[in-house]
Amino acid sequence: MGVNIKLAGIDIGSRSIEFVLLDAEHFEVIDRFQAETCIDLSSQLNSINERFTWDRLVSTGYGRQLSQKVLGGEVITEIKAYATSAHQFYPTIETVIDLGGQDTKALFINQKNGQLQKFEMNDKCSAGTGKFFEMMAASLGLTLDQLVAAAMNGKKSIEINSTCTVFAESEVISLLTSGVALEDIARALHEALLNKLVSLLSKVMKHDSSEILFVGGGAKNSALVHFLAEAINKKVVVPEYPDFYGAFGAAINAKSLNKFL
Amino acid sequence: MNALAPLFQDDFKDFPLKRALSQVIKKRDAGSKVVGAYCSYAPVEVIWAMGGVPAILCAFSNTPIAKAEETLPANLCPLIKSSFGFIELKTCPFFELTDAVVGETTCDGKKKMFELIEKHRPLYVMDLPQCPTNEGAVTYWRHSVNGFKKFLEEKFDTTISNEALEDSIKDCNRKNRLVQEIFGFGACKPSVITWQEMYEVSTFAMVSNGEETISKLQEILAILTERSRQGVYCSKENAKRVLITGCPVGGDVLKVLKLVDEEGATIVGLDSCTGLKPYLGAIEENSGDSLLAIAKRYLQIPCACMTPNTGRFDVLKKQVDSLKPDLVIDLVLQSCHTYNVEAVKVESFVRDDLGTNYLKVVTDFSQQDLGQLKTRIAAALEMN
Repeated sequence: MGVNIKLAGIDIGSRSIEFVLLDAEHFEVIDRFQAETCIDLSSQLNSINERFTWDRLVSTGYGRQLSQKVLGGEVITEIKAYATSAHQFYPTIETVIDLGGQDTKALFINQKNGQLQKFEMNDKCSAGTGKFFEMMAASLGLTLDQLVAAAMNGKKSIEINSTCTVFAESEVISLLTSGVALEDIARALHEALLNKLVSLLSKVMKHDSSEILFVGGGAKNSALVHFLAEAINKKVVVPEYPDFYGAFGAAINAKSLNKFL
Repeated sequence: MNALAPLFQDDFKDFPLKRALSQVIKKRDAGSKVVGAYCSYAPVEVIWAMGGVPAILCAFSNTPIAKAEETLPANLCPLIKSSFGFIELKTCPFFELTDAVVGETTCDGKKKMFELIEKHRPLYVMDLPQCPTNEGAVTYWRHSVNGFKKFLEEKFDTTISNEALEDSIKDCNRKNRLVQEIFGFGACKPSVITWQEMYEVSTFAMVSNGEETISKLQEILAILTERSRQGVYCSKENAKRVLITGCPVGGDVLKVLKLVDEEGATIVGLDSCTGLKPYLGAIEENSGDSLLAIAKRYLQIPCACMTPNTGRFDVLKKQVDSLKPDLVIDLVLQSCHTYNVEAVKVESFVRDDLGTNYLKVVTDFSQQDLGQLKTRIAAALEMN
């Protein structure tokens, strides 16, 4: 494949869209684009089509089928996409966790050949996902960044038992009215979600793994990364653009997918 | 792929339950008593021996669940809620046709639900020993089978003779062998039988008996043999192969099987109670104690309500060896604790001992998890 071939990957998630253009030779980023997912996804995809050009495209994420209809190319699941990009950029890491808007996924990759060996996903509701943090921040009248900062200053004094956004909201309100510090509540919310992540990870992770890769928008939550590393007693690696890993994986697959050959 | 000649050439194409219903109505019109049953442990040979006809009451529709939840807890298995909701709404055509109902103490939800429906129909609950290999289990279960026989005799003022039981055993053995042979075509690569057809055969055979049924099944075998001989396939040559195991499936939960189709894969086996499971094994003929022979065979049914349930692993091994699936999907209905917990052992057996990819799917009859299921199934099929 020539050096000028441009591979496109697009990851259409419940909260955001990530689009990347990579050069087919070294998988270096030529261009990147990110936006919130619109209700009118087709128009959004059409505008991407007008703005960028590529030679091959692979779509992934929840909107992959619609994306294929609008933009053409092929589709893969975000699970395959994450496994591909994780192995491409961190070939020695075998465990990956992705915290997205409405999904959490844990992957175990064979580091010898990059094949996905096992994966687990959260239950069908948004409990234990990025959406949970957004809703909880709103209940506390904070932005997401403020919630993260508060958690770093909070003590582990209380427990929030639910990661169901509806139930957790009632727990948060009753804790607030009983005078518990906002920072401690923020910390407890992180701990609640952490329990979910650890339980999902433990279904795929080997005990002797020394590090895991944390991707998806949730990996940008520094408090969560810090608490997760403590909880599993392993190094948690967060790449430079964790939320683009689905799109990277899609683009990399555009090079090798049989369907294109 | 050429067009497939249908296995059933009747008015019920794509409506296997309507076909089953018409079978039950036909028998009923001819004077048969209709005995509703809730699972594969119901010894249908006894019903046939009486000249009756079984009707399967397990329901797989999401529609009556809201009604059921007026009475039953929401966090109960959808199959129980759906079956109960239909009865409350009086919209289950099978239940409405029944003269009596037999239940078995398989899971807690079902056995307590039986207490709530006994006001509607004469009901016999068979106590099922759940440690099938323990000493005395078969003898005890024989008492339950005998109790069921006596219940039918008293309720319908009839006698079920030993000869009638033996004839019924032989008839069912013949039928079951044919169903096994039909499912055996799942081993063909590319596929010559679809999961829809397997489901049709399983549903049809459950409520049918006698010579007419035997010839129908033989006709189906001939069609499948012809497809295989002529190379008339229903999957692409390199399609990924999937074996479905776990809880019974039907109606709205067929969504999982349809998603497998959407991904271009082919389902080569249905291992559950709405597939091959009720037709496996054979009852000893001319044993001298028909009830004991029936009891022995039924206690070998590898349902997750049993412990240990070693038979499930034996069957899985045989099926994986012959069907050669790339993926085993363990379909667990929400709140079915036995299948859900057993999945831990099934997963390690399938992955480690059989070297086959495995995916557990926990779901209900609603459509709310379609997106996630699609991603999971597609991702599992993308592997290896």
